[in-house]
Amino acid sequence: MDQIWAHRPGLLGWLTTTDHKRIGLMYLFATLAFFAAGGVEALLIRTQLAVPNGHTVSPGTYDQLLTMHGVTMIFLFVIPLTTGAFGNYLVPLMIGARDMAFPRLNALSFWLFLASGIFIYTGLALGTAPNAGWFDYVPLALKQYDPGPNIDFFALGLILNGASSTAAAVNFIATIFKLRAPGMSMNRMPLFCFAVLAVAFALLFALPPLTIDCVFLELQRQLGFHFFDVAHGGDPLLWQYLFWIFGHPEVYIIVLPAFGIATSIIPTFAKRRMVAFPLVAMAELLVAFIGFGVFAHHMFSTGLATVTLIFFAAASMFVVIPSTIQIYAWLLTVTSGRPEFKAPLMFIGGFIVFFVLGGLSGIMFAAIPFDQALTDTYFVVAHFHFVIFGAAVFPLLGGLYYWFPKVTGRMYHEGWAKASFWLTFAGTSLTFFPMHIAGLLGMTRRVYTYEPGLGWDTYNLLETIGAFVLAAGLLVIAANLLVSRLNGATAGADPFFGGTLEWTVPSPPPAYNFAVIPTVTSPYPNWDRPEAERGGLVLEEGHETPASTVRDARLEEILDMPSESPWPIVLALLVAVAFVMLLASHGVVAGLFFGLAALTLGAWHLQEPES
Amino acid sequence: MSEVVLPRERIRPSGWWGMALFVATEATLFGTIFGTYFYLRLNTVYWPPPGIAAPRPLWPLVLVAALVSTSPVLWAARRAALRGRVGRARAGLLLALAVQTGYLAFHLLLFAQDLDRFRPEDSAYGSIYFTMLGAHDAHVAAGILLELWLLLRLLRGLTRYRLVAFQVTSLYWNFVNVLALLVVVVQLAGAR
Amino acid sequence: MPAPGREPTKLALGLVAVALPALAGCGGNQNVVHPASGPEHSIAQLWWVMLIGSAVGFGSVVLLLYLGWARRNRPGLPGKGGDRAETRLVLLLGVAVPIVVLVTLFVYADVFVMRSTAAPGRGTTAFTIQVIGHQWFWEVRYPGTSAVTANEIHIPTHTRVNLVGTTADVIHSIWIPELNRKVDLIPGRTNRILLEADRPGHYRGQCSEFCGLQHAHMAVEVIAEPRARFREWLANMARPATAPRTQLEQLGRQVFLSEACSGCHSIRGTPARGEIGPDLTHLASRETLAALTLPNDPVDLRRWITDPQHSKPGAKMPGLPLAGEQVGALVAYLESLR
Ligand code: HEA
Ligand code: HEA
Ligand code: HEC
Ligand code: CUA
Ligand SMILES: [Cu+2]
Repeated sequence: MDQIWAHRPGLLGWLTTTDHKRIGLMYLFATLAFFAAGGVEALLIRTQLAVPNGHTVSPGTYDQLLTMHGVTMIFLFVIPLTTGAFGNYLVPLMIGARDMAFPRLNALSFWLFLASGIFIYTGLALGTAPNAGWFDYVPLALKQYDPGPNIDFFALGLILNGASSTAAAVNFIATIFKLRAPGMSMNRMPLFCFAVLAVAFALLFALPPLTIDCVFLELQRQLGFHFFDVAHGGDPLLWQYLFWIFGHPEVYIIVLPAFGIATSIIPTFAKRRMVAFPLVAMAELLVAFIGFGVFAHHMFSTGLATVTLIFFAAASMFVVIPSTIQIYAWLLTVTSGRPEFKAPLMFIGGFIVFFVLGGLSGIMFAAIPFDQALTDTYFVVAHFHFVIFGAAVFPLLGGLYYWFPKVTGRMYHEGWAKASFWLTFAGTSLTFFPMHIAGLLGMTRRVYTYEPGLGWDTYNLLETIGAFVLAAGLLVIAANLLVSRLNGATAGADPFFGGTLEWTVPSPPPAYNFAVIPTVTSPYPNWDRPEAERGGLVLEEGHETPASTVRDARLEEILDMPSESPWPIVLALLVAVAFVMLLASHGVVAGLFFGLAALTLGAWHLQEPES
Repeated sequence: MSEVVLPRERIRPSGWWGMALFVATEATLFGTIFGTYFYLRLNTVYWPPPGIAAPRPLWPLVLVAALVSTSPVLWAARRAALRGRVGRARAGLLLALAVQTGYLAFHLLLFAQDLDRFRPEDSAYGSIYFTMLGAHDAHVAAGILLELWLLLRLLRGLTRYRLVAFQVTSLYWNFVNVLALLVVVVQLAGAR
Repeated sequence: MPAPGREPTKLALGLVAVALPALAGCGGNQNVVHPASGPEHSIAQLWWVMLIGSAVGFGSVVLLLYLGWARRNRPGLPGKGGDRAETRLVLLLGVAVPIVVLVTLFVYADVFVMRSTAAPGRGTTAFTIQVIGHQWFWEVRYPGTSAVTANEIHIPTHTRVNLVGTTADVIHSIWIPELNRKVDLIPGRTNRILLEADRPGHYRGQCSEFCGLQHAHMAVEVIAEPRARFREWLANMARPATAPRTQLEQLGRQVFLSEACSGCHSIRGTPARGEIGPDLTHLASRETLAALTLPNDPVDLRRWITDPQHSKPGAKMPGLPLAGEQVGALVAYLESLR
C-alpha cells in the first residue's frame, strides 16, 4: 500500500504531485507568503497614515500599495487559503476519500494560482502595479486616465486567478458529490464540507461576471472596444454592476470556509455536537445563495432608482438571517457544552465577537440613508476588516492551530498560542475599531494623506499602533508553529478528541489517507463509532478510491486515481506565458502558446487510468 | 477490446460531473454577455447605431440549424459506442466534425464580412456584437479540438475512459449548440 | 485567564467613551453626527438609534459567550442526544428576533429616513447649483447667472438648494457630511441632492470616490450665509473680473495672457478662456487654493504658481518656468481679483 501511493522523492516529487495534502501544503505556504506581502503593504499604508501629511510614500506608490493590499488579501490570500489549503487538505480526509475527484486538475489549480500571483506581483516589481483600487472603477481604469500597464496586470491577473478558482470549485463539488465514504449521506457530512460546497457553487457562478468584466476592460484598453465610455454608447456603471455581481458573493466566499472551521472547532472543544446541525447546514447554503441578490448595496450612492435601492436594501437585511442563525447556534453550542478554552476555541471566541461587530455595521449599511452618508469612508473600512480580518481570518488562525497536530504530528505550544491570541485580539480591536469613529468624523477612504485639525489624528495613530501590535501577534503565531514543527511534543492521531473522520487517521496522514475506507453512520463518526475503521473496503491493489451516489452515498464503483503527473505544471506555465504575451500586446505569440497549451491538454488526457 | 466494462446507466461518472459543472459556469459566462448586450441596448437610443444595418437572418439561421443537427448525430454515435460498435461511432463523430468545421469556417467568413460593414472600435453595439459572436466561435473551436482528440483516441479502440470522454464531449456539444441558438436569437432579435 | 468576551466589552466601552465627546461636536467640521440640516439630522438620528440597537445585540452575544466561559467547568458531560431547547432558542434569537428588528429598521430607515435624503422634487427648491467634478477640483456654476467659481459653494441659509452633479472626467462623489448624504458624479449621468443649512457656517466636504493621484486633496467647502450676504456674493461672482489698477497688476495680467496660464484658465472680462483649470475671475475672494490644499494668501499663491507639483503632486497644472518678477506680478494681479 505504502509503495503504491509513494511519492516521487525530492523537488520533482512536489512539482508533479497530485496528492491533495501536498497541494494543500503548497497552497498554504504560497498564500501565507502573499499574506505577509499584503501585510507589509498594510503596514506601509498605516505608517503613511500615522500622522497627518505623512511622507512615508508618494501618492502614486500609495495607490499601488492600497490596490495591491486589497487584491493580494482577497485573491491571493483568503480565498486560496480557505479553499486551496484548508479545503484541499481537509475535505478528502473528512469525507473518507483518498484524494480529490480530479487530482491533476487540483495540481493545475495550484500552479495557475501561483502563476497569477507572480504575474500580478511582477507589476509591483516593475513599479507599475495596479493602482485604481481593488474594485478598479472605470473610467479611472481606462487607458485615457491610466495609460501604463498597471491595470492590465490587474485584469489579466484576475482572469488567470479566476480560471484557477473555477477549476478548484469544479473539483470540490465533484469530490463532495462523488467521493464520500459509503454511508456518509448528505445529512451526515461534516459542516465544514457543507461550507466548502457552498463556496464552490458560489465561485462557479460568481466568477464569470468578473472574468467577463476583465475581458471587456482589456478589449477596451488594448483594442479600443467600447463598453464603458459614454461617448460611444458604453456605460461606466456596467463595470460596477458586473464587478459587484461577483463582488458580493465573493465576501461570503471569503467568510464561509471560516464558518466551516468554526463549526469544526466548536463541537470539539465544547464536547458536544453542533446545536441545530441541519439549520446550520441550510444556513451555510442559503447565505451563499442569497448573497447573489444583494450586490447593488455597493452602489447606493450612484443615483439608482428608488425601487432598485429598496429591493437591494431589503435583500441585504434578509441575508443577515442565516448569519444570525449560525451565530446563535455556535454560542448555544458553547454555553450548553463544557467548553475547554484552548487556543483554537479562543480564536473562535474572538471570531464571534468580531463577526457580530462587523455584521452589525453591515446591517447599518443596509439602511440606505446611512450608507449614502458613510459609504467610501473609514466606516466601510472598519466594517469589512471586522468581517474579513475578524470573521474570516481569525478562524483561519484558530484552524492553523487546530489542525497543526494533524498535519505535522506535533503539538503547538499552548501558552504561546494563548498569548498570540490576546495579541492579535488586542491588535485587531485597536486597528479597526477607531476606524468607525474616523469614518463618522468624515474621513474618506483611499486618501494617501489628510489634513490635521479634522479630529482624525488620534484615531489614525491608534490604528497604526494597533496594526503593529497585530503584526507582532501574527509573528508569534508563525514562530510558535515553526518552533513546534521542529520540537513540539508528539501529538498522536487524535489530540483533541475531534468528531470527524480526519481524526481517525494517523498524524500526519499517510499518502493514501485511509488504509481501510470507513463506513459512516453518523455526522460525528469518531465519537459515535470510534471503531469506524471497520469499513468493508480495503482497496490495496492500486491507486484507487471508491465513488458513491450523490445524495445517500451508496457505494457505486471503485475509481482508479491518477498518480503524479508533469502536465499540470507545464500547462500552467504555458498559459502564464500566453498571458504575459497578452499583456505585452503580442496577440499572435499568445495564441501560439494557447495552442501549445491545448496540445498539452491532449497529451495530459492520453494517460488512461486503466492502463 | 470489446470486453469493455460499460458504466452502468444512471451512474454519472466524475468526469460527467466535471463537465456539467464546467458547462454551468460557462453558461453563466454567456448569460453575462447576453445581459451586457441588453444592458447596453437599453442605454442607447439607436441600436444598432445609425449607418449599421441590422444583421440579416438568412445565413445565421441556416448555419445554426446545421450546427444543431450535430446533436442527434453525436447521440447516435455515442449509442453505437456504448454498444461497442466502434466503426459506427467513428463515422458519426467524423460526420459531426465535418459539419461543425464547416459551420466554423462559414461563420468566420460571415464574421469577416461583418467586420467590413462595421467595427468593434466604432460603437458599443459593434463591441458587444463581435465579442459575443467571437466568444461562441471560440467555444465551437474548442469543441472541434475535443472531438478531434476523441476521434484519434477511438482509432485505437474503445475503453471505459474513452466512453466517458464521449459522454463528456457530447454534453459539451449539446451545450454549445443550445448556446448557438441563443446567440443567434440575441444577434437577430436584439437588433430589432 | 479572563473570558474571551469580557475584554472586548471593556475595550469597546473604553473606545466609545473616548469617542463620544469627539462625535458630539468638536473636532473638525466634517462630522456626520454634527448635523446642520434637516436631512442630516435624520441621518444622525438613524445612526444613534442603530448604535443603541447594535449595543443590545452585541451585548446579547457577549453575555452568551460569558455564560459559556463561566460554566466551563460545570459537572457532568452534556447529553449527546437531543438539543431541542437549544434549537428553539436558535430559532427565536436567530430568526424571530432579527426578523422583527430588521423589518422595523427597514421601515424606519429605508422608507421614512429615505424620504428626507432623497433627491428634491422638482419645484421644491429655490434655485439650482451645478457642480462639475474634475481631477482634482470642483467647478461650481450658478445656472441663470454667469457666476462660475471653484471649490467653494456659497448658499443662503434656510433655503432648499438643488445641487446637480456631473463630471468632466472620472467618477467623483460630492459629500458635505454635516449637510447631507453624498452622491456620485458619473460620466453620462446627472445626479441630484438637496443642499440646505440651518445655520451660517463653513461646512467642509471631500471627494468620496477614488479618482486618482490627488483624490486626497479634492476637498470642497460649503459656505452658508444669510440671504442678503449671499445675494451680494452672487452678484459679485457674476461680474467680470476687475481691471488691474497698479502697474504690477497690469504686468501680471500681461504675463497671465501671454504665458500658458490663459490656455487653461478663464478670467472673464479678459481673453483668457481656458477650460482645463478652475475659473480664476474672482480668485482672491476664495479662501483656499487647489481644492483646499493651501490657504489663499500671497505666499501660498506664489508657492502654488511656482511649483504646483510640490503641494499637490500629480495635479494637472504644470510648474511653468517663470522669472521671479513675473510670478510676483502674477500674484499681485490674481490677488486683486476679488
Ligand atoms: C467576509 C466578508 C464580509 C461579510 C461576511 C459581510 C457581511 C455583510 N455586509 Fe459587508 N462588505 C464586505 C465584506 C463582508 N461583508 C466588504 C469587503 C465590503 C466593502 C467592499 C469595498 O467597498 O471595498 C463590504 C461592504 C458592505 C456594504 C456596502 C458599503 C458601502 O460601500 O457603502 C454593505 C451594504 O449593505 C454591506 C452589508 C453587509 C451585510 C448586511 C452583511 C451581513 O451578512 C452581516 C450579517 C452578520 C450579522 C448581522 C452578525 C450577527 C449579529 C447578531 C447575532 C446580533 C443580533 C442581530 C440582530 C438582532 C439583527 N457590506
Ligand atoms: C483579507 C482581506 C484583508 C486583510 C486580512 C487586511 C488586513 C489589513 N488591512 Fe486591509 N484592506 C482590504 C482587505 C484586507 N485587509 C481591502 C479589500 C481593502 C480595500 C482596498 C481598496 O480600497 O481598494 C483594504 C484596505 C485597507 C486600508 C484602507 C486604505 C485606504 O482606504 O486608504 C487600511 C488602512 O489602514 C488597511 C489596513 C489593514 C491592516 C493594518 C491589516 C492587518 O490586519 C494586516 C496584518 C497582517 C500582517 C502584518 C502580515 C503578517 C503575516 C505574517 C508575518 C505571516 C504570518 C504567518 C502566519 C500567521 C503563520 N486595509
Ligand atoms: C495645463 C493646464 C494649466 C496651466 C498651463 C496652468 N494651470 Fe493653473 N490650474 C490648472 C488646474 C488643472 C488647476 C486645478 C489644480 C487642482 O486643484 O488640482 C489649476 C489651479 C490653479 C490655481 C488655483 C485655483 C483655485 O481656485 O484653487 C491658480 C491660482 C492657478 N492655477 C494659476 C495659474 C497660473 C498663474 C498659471 C500660469 C503661470 C497657470 N495656473 C497655468 C491647470 C493649469
Ligand atoms: Cu474626486 Cu475622488
Ligand atoms: Cu456586499
